[in-house]
Amino acid sequence: MSFTTPYFTLPKFVYLKPSTLEEALSMLKQYKGKAKVKAGGIMLINLMKERQIVPEYVIDLKNIKELKTINITQRGVEIGSMVTAIELQNSKEIKELCPTLAKAASFMGDRTLQHTVTLGGNISVAMPSTDGLTALMSMDSMLEIKSAEERRFIHSSELVIGLGKNSLKEDEIITKIIVPYNGDVKGTYLKFLNASEVAIATVAVTAHLNKKKFALVVGALAPKPYYFNNESLQWNWEEPVSVNIQRASEIVSKTVEPMSDVVASSEYRKHISKVLTARALKEVFGGE
Amino acid sequence: MGVNKLKTISLKVNGVTKEIAVEDNELLLNTLRDKLGITSVKAACWRGECGLCTVLLDGIPVKSCMTLSVEADGKEVITAEGLYSDERAKKLMESFVKHGALQCGFCTPAFVVTSHYVLSKNPEIDGEELKKELNGVICRCGTYYQIYDAVKDAEKYYKKEKSY
Repeated sequence: MSFTTPYFTLPKFVYLKPSTLEEALSMLKQYKGKAKVKAGGIMLINLMKERQIVPEYVIDLKNIKELKTINITQRGVEIGSMVTAIELQNSKEIKELCPTLAKAASFMGDRTLQHTVTLGGNISVAMPSTDGLTALMSMDSMLEIKSAEERRFIHSSELVIGLGKNSLKEDEIITKIIVPYNGDVKGTYLKFLNASEVAIATVAVTAHLNKKKFALVVGALAPKPYYFNNESLQWNWEEPVSVNIQRASEIVSKTVEPMSDVVASSEYRKHISKVLTARALKEVFGGE
Repeated sequence: MGVNKLKTISLKVNGVTKEIAVEDNELLLNTLRDKLGITSVKAACWRGECGLCTVLLDGIPVKSCMTLSVEADGKEVITAEGLYSDERAKKLMESFVKHGALQCGFCTPAFVVTSHYVLSKNPEIDGEELKKELNGVICRCGTYYQIYDAVKDAEKYYKKEKSY
């Protein structure tokens, strides 16, 4: 016996499964405004069950091989948007060159879903708790976006423009995530969950110690993650690490303006982001 | 709205290839339970949280309430029923019974399928790593310790032969 209420079923749509990127882009152009792109599909299927999205066509990118590759080029590490969270965690290149992302991928949903969740899908849903974007911003990465006509590049911080809203046009998809290669990288990603596993705050730190540079991004507080670097955190490389961490976490808690909702109050989120900042910096720079 | 016609997909379910007519908006969970009568695949949360509908799709665990039937076209589905033909999985199930790794038993098929995947991938898995690997399935009776013991105990059967 089957449930028929909206919550359990999907609205009617036509399923399209292109096998090349060109085919997918021309389908998107043809059905502009009527079609939704499906990457992993977790968010899309849930929103469709709730009837928040009712597309006429669903274009599944799962068969497109060129979106599933991880390449090292002159521009840096180029990650296809359909690379799954499990592949990110298992890839030698990602673990070595993008440790922040490898760790963030271990928080994208539970272990079973991580076989399905894709990096491109994770960042484009634009929910505050998406782990991919926080990590990518700390690594200063760029996104390659394609439509049938043009190809453009945006910085990862330009993707999210509001709660659940991204800056992609209706006929565009994210094809690649490009992480610049800066050598000698160290990074971590911390996520603080409440009892029902909803994120209170997330912190991503990526440091290039040889260049005396690092970036710290605090996510899950507001629609857009907060970006900090060693300058905005007044990091003084001559002073002891513990003094720096104390100052940096104070700056973070003074700067962020978290939302208040059923999950957590603004004050609580602020406090947690301060604690997480200190923990993450301790993990990367050591100190007592 | 687009016009929905039935599509015929070919699905190898537990070793038997079947041709099934499905709609585009049909979930793999519904196809397996309603059309094929495979009831070990449980329907509970319908939103990819509880993991009780976990099946192996081409050898990889997926939540069938989050998978479209048309997506699975040409693929192989293995459910708890299909694991009976695997000697190691049989021992794993016996280990579940031996350790009392169930109370109501509603989550057991999903735990068996997931732990079978984990153990056939790496029978020498570290304890903490094993707990992480199984975090996609929820047991509301709270028999997690017994499940952990059962899976740890069944490791030895998976070490003997590699291929599944």
